Amino acid sequence: MSGHVKNMCPQLPISQAARTLLSLLLVAAIDSVSAGVVCRKQPCGSSLQISLKLTKLIHKESADLLKTYKVSQGDMSELFCQMSINNVPDPNISGLDPSERMLSIYSHCKAFLPHLKRVTEQQTDLQPPSSSLLSKLSTAQNRTNGLANQINCIYQTLFPNLPIPPEPVDGPTSVPPSQNVFQQKVYGCVVLKRFKEFLSRVTRELRTLKSQVCTRRTTFADTNALS
Amino acid sequence: MLSLLCLVLFVPRVLSSSTPVAGIFPQDPALRMGSSLTATCTVSPERGLHANTMYWTMNGKRLPSSTYDLMSPNCLSVTLHHLNGSQQQSGDNLVCHSGDGHVLAGSCLYVGMPPEKPVNLTCWSRNTKDLSCKWTPGGRGETFIKTKYTLKYKLRWYGRERECEDYSTGQRYTCYIPRDLALFTPYEIWVEASNQLGTATSDVITLDILDVVTTDPPDNVHVSRVGELEDQLTVHWGSPPALKDFLFQAKYQIRYRLEDSTEWKVVDDVGNQTSCRLAGLRAGTVYFVQVRCNPVGIYGSRKAGIWSDWSHPSAASTPHSERLQSGSCEPKPGEQNSTLRRELKQFFGWVRKHAYGCSGMSIKLYDQWRVWLQKSHKTRNQVGKNNIPFISVPTQHRLHSYVL
Repeated sequence: MSGHVKNMCPQLPISQAARTLLSLLLVAAIDSVSAGVVCRKQPCGSSLQISLKLTKLIHKESADLLKTYKVSQGDMSELFCQMSINNVPDPNISGLDPSERMLSIYSHCKAFLPHLKRVTEQQTDLQPPSSSLLSKLSTAQNRTNGLANQINCIYQTLFPNLPIPPEPVDGPTSVPPSQNVFQQKVYGCVVLKRFKEFLSRVTRELRTLKSQVCTRRTTFADTNALS
Repeated sequence: MLSLLCLVLFVPRVLSSSTPVAGIFPQDPALRMGSSLTATCTVSPERGLHANTMYWTMNGKRLPSSTYDLMSPNCLSVTLHHLNGSQQQSGDNLVCHSGDGHVLAGSCLYVGMPPEKPVNLTCWSRNTKDLSCKWTPGGRGETFIKTKYTLKYKLRWYGRERECEDYSTGQRYTCYIPRDLALFTPYEIWVEASNQLGTATSDVITLDILDVVTTDPPDNVHVSRVGELEDQLTVHWGSPPALKDFLFQAKYQIRYRLEDSTEWKVVDDVGNQTSCRLAGLRAGTVYFVQVRCNPVGIYGSRKAGIWSDWSHPSAASTPHSERLQSGSCEPKPGEQNSTLRRELKQFFGWVRKHAYGCSGMSIKLYDQWRVWLQKSHKTRNQVGKNNIPFISVPTQHRLHSYVL
């Protein structure tokens, strides 16, 4: 056998620019995986609309959650919600342009999650097992996680050149150390009150973002990780 | 002593990690009902608050100043006597306020009683596959605070002690063991109760799974007329399929009532037959009938088991009396006419909607409508029930024609 290797693959006469475009289209068409979440392509307005619907749902449920929480802690617990506490995320969305504000929504969702988890753990010890508060807290966590994933996908596709900072670190630095029961009651109230206020702001923000960033031909990913 | 506590013991700031504001002692105490408590609220001198401007609340209700004692310029105590059981399991909120109402500090009180021996421990097995147990708290006081109940069991003659894990069956004071249960050998079962004030253990019950078996209610319960006999109905049913493999015999019980009555009549001596004739009934009347089963002689045991739930109601009506029917066919004037007409209208509406595939009117169809009416009335009064299923009429069941 001769050492000469013949190229058996016929070369098509495609220009360099066309090849570049083809590569870009292929990359865009492939499902992207970001932070363990599969983002699938959907029209811009549709994706933000889905996130808006989810936000409205969580917001509505958060009002009931806060109400249930207060009843479970006993009378006078309304005052607890008004006390000041450090280290609980504030409800305000920051940033000047859409990318910053969307990133702020994502970061806040992630920041609230360990606090919701801590409140759930504390209330598991304080409430009877049949308490509806516990299931509502669990639902809030799941849905918030889903919302964070959705916003993540939308952000990554809209602003592919803007990196998302590392996720907030779970652990003792973000949630308070062990507390006595009274402190736990106050803490839970403040977390849930701020959580509700945050969701109200997210609802307004997503409406604004939808009109700002979605054009007719903008197509981007959303997540199927709805919960 | 209390003054010393006010001076020396200073709980870190309640809500943040910076300069403490105030603190209450004791924190989260567990107390017996009827006992007394003296709590102190000590405020940081840097706050510039004087203790005589502070006040206390318990579960939102302001406590009278007669119960206060000014221990020092920045320490106010309160004494509570004859404490009642806690209003919520998360604890009563004892809160110390500044004069303008702001919360300075809080402590959650757990007022209850140590548990008493759990009582009425009973267990049953569904088709010998599992074991469910329920009990009652021994005392009321333990229900005011979080009391943990642990069901434990072991084989009487050997084996290690095990704990039931599934307490989430929806009912309180129950536990469910789903599998891995031995037969023909006794178990010892008991419940341990514990809370912050003490512990208690129930009496031990001993049972063989085969002695506490229950099963599903009989299925395919059919009630029908006995020819034209106006005072009789016949009932047929199937034996529960789950016990087919090892049931030696079962005994059954029937109960029946008039449609408009709440009083059931029980027929006890049905034995192990799967049919029965009811006699001495009223003519021209709808009856509801239910059947339940007690598995006996499981694997040769002579003992009876536990009665199943009653089957879903089945209905039928006895024929009208001939003597009554030979009277005038003219409808009585006034309200009876309109009542009958209204009822017929409802019946026809139901037939159109639910009895699809029906090729003829029959008394059985009418009886099924009456059953549906009863069920839908019950469903409207209950929360969370599923929709009542459609009733399709087999075309072969044309037993009687209803004279309209």
